[in-house]
Amino acid sequence: MNSSRVIPTDREVSDPEVVARVLVGDVEAFGIVLRRYEPGLLRYATRMLGHPDAAADAVAEGLVRAYRHLASCRDPARLKSWLYRIVGNRCRSHLARRSASDISLDDAPPLPDMSDTEAETERAEQMALVQRALETISPEKREAFLLKHVEGMSYEEMAEATGERIPTLKMRVHRARAALLQALKEYP
Amino acid sequence: MNLRCGILLVLTAAAPLAAQGPRQRLAGHVPPATLAVLDSIVQDAAGAGLPTEPLIQKALEGGAKGEAPARIVSAVAASAAQLRSARALLTSAGESPPSDPREVSAVAAALSRGVSPQLVGSLSAALPGEPTGPALHAVADLVGHGFAEDSSVELMVEGARLGLRGLRFLDVAAAAVQELQRGRSHSAALASVRVLLPHLPAPPRAAPAAVSRARRVQPSHERP
Amino acid sequence: MKHIDPQVHRVLDGELPAEVLTASQREQLAALTRAAEALSALPRASVAARVMTEVRRPPESAGRRVARWLTERHAVTISVRPIWSLALAVVLAAVAVIPGRGPGPILGDQEGIAQFVGRFPGARSVDVVGSFTDWQSGAVVLRDDEHDGIWRGTVVLPVGQHEYMFVVDGERWVTDPLAGRYVDDGFGRQNALLFVRPIVR
Repeated sequence: MNSSRVIPTDREVSDPEVVARVLVGDVEAFGIVLRRYEPGLLRYATRMLGHPDAAADAVAEGLVRAYRHLASCRDPARLKSWLYRIVGNRCRSHLARRSASDISLDDAPPLPDMSDTEAETERAEQMALVQRALETISPEKREAFLLKHVEGMSYEEMAEATGERIPTLKMRVHRARAALLQALKEYP
Repeated sequence: MNLRCGILLVLTAAAPLAAQGPRQRLAGHVPPATLAVLDSIVQDAAGAGLPTEPLIQKALEGGAKGEAPARIVSAVAASAAQLRSARALLTSAGESPPSDPREVSAVAAALSRGVSPQLVGSLSAALPGEPTGPALHAVADLVGHGFAEDSSVELMVEGARLGLRGLRFLDVAAAAVQELQRGRSHSAALASVRVLLPHLPAPPRAAPAAVSRARRVQPSHERP
Repeated sequence: MKHIDPQVHRVLDGELPAEVLTASQREQLAALTRAAEALSALPRASVAARVMTEVRRPPESAGRRVARWLTERHAVTISVRPIWSLALAVVLAAVAVIPGRGPGPILGDQEGIAQFVGRFPGARSVDVVGSFTDWQSGAVVLRDDEHDGIWRGTVVLPVGQHEYMFVVDGERWVTDPLAGRYVDDGFGRQNALLFVRPIVR
């Protein structure tokens, strides 16, 4: 009879277990971290920077850094916040270095190609519209809105990811909502 | 702790540059076709009470960098507009009119680094009667390293309240950047510097050997 | 900025159910919810393969790191720690140097010292050109006395704000990567920005 050992799926392995495995030398276990968090991090960075290539660089560099400094993640149960902090820092530095003239609305999410369905085309257009509106609000408010309403974080998780106090984050989210609503009204 | 150092003075050509008008300073350094219009921009600025040295410098810079005539004119005109904006902000913040051309130049440079215009008012209020340029540049330093503008301004205002003045604000920014580069988060870096205010550690000093020979360059811009 | 009713904020923060909202409040809620949904689409691209390639690479030995740094062309200094570069560029003029009684001028109250350092292996000349030279070359010429590609120079400058760039071999304009503080030059490049302080006495 074959071994009764059950190989856990990604879903069954907790973040602390994954971190422990990577730290004892199981490099491939880091793939679980990527499958679990890379799509969200890339989405977050793309929305923050409005530029897919810059977002890819920020996330790739951030994740490599996270791998190399994984031992410094003090609470592996909060791995998600820790990863968003690393990538968020890279996004903030990138935005601060970049002048206004570098921001290209053409670098927003790519338009669908002709083979996309009408529904997909409409979704892409709506996303481009909202992305343009998002880029008119300050990076701090943009970050707060994205972490809360796109990445689905609680205010506690956001505090861990940004290092800011919860009242400050609440204020930024509230202002972000107002600013975004205003910006959306101004675009036809 | 007297340190001997041999400082060599190198005197450059003794042309009284500060006494020359714009045309004389620019002639031979910018495309001839631009001389008249650049002179006009500089004279307009002088008539409006704006500092003119930054404009002459921008024209000289464009000429030295081999830029096209139209680009040089455009850059000088843009610099004049920045100086006007800076002075308007200082005036509306209560300084009527701004007396020190260096303050107008410093504020214009800080604004061109991306600090929000409304900060001029916030920092002027925190520093009544004092130059705001250094604090604005300190905020720009921090924003350049990813710190939030509002938190950076709060730190400078706190420093002003505790008696910091002038270029000491740049030390505040440098200390926060050091904390960031030691691995702290942005907010933890600001918090740790806030605790130290106003007693920031002294900035690093260059070794005597590194400054054993310094050459003086005869500057040509306006002296106070 | 458009005003949002506090009730809408409380619903969005999960503190109240949506049913308590009026029709116009629900419009605001719906607009923001639609915006969040539009932004929630996951990107098609992925960097996972790129990241795994990098993490699988064996760590670089110290010797290889040094060899790689030596063969790359980049204007960095080996004598100044990068974390001090900002403070150094800003504050170098306030060095603890009390001018001696020997020959040469004593620095005035409105003068300070700035030190320029750059790594340009293979360069034939490196000038510092800026607002303190009327943007002309030849006034501040750096030296590579040890022939190690590190060019240095120390200059007395008036206290205050200065902009500059390096000019390598008389023709290549390079922004000082260690300046830590920059301003757009209006011509598509960036000047380094330097604050010179009075000498500490």
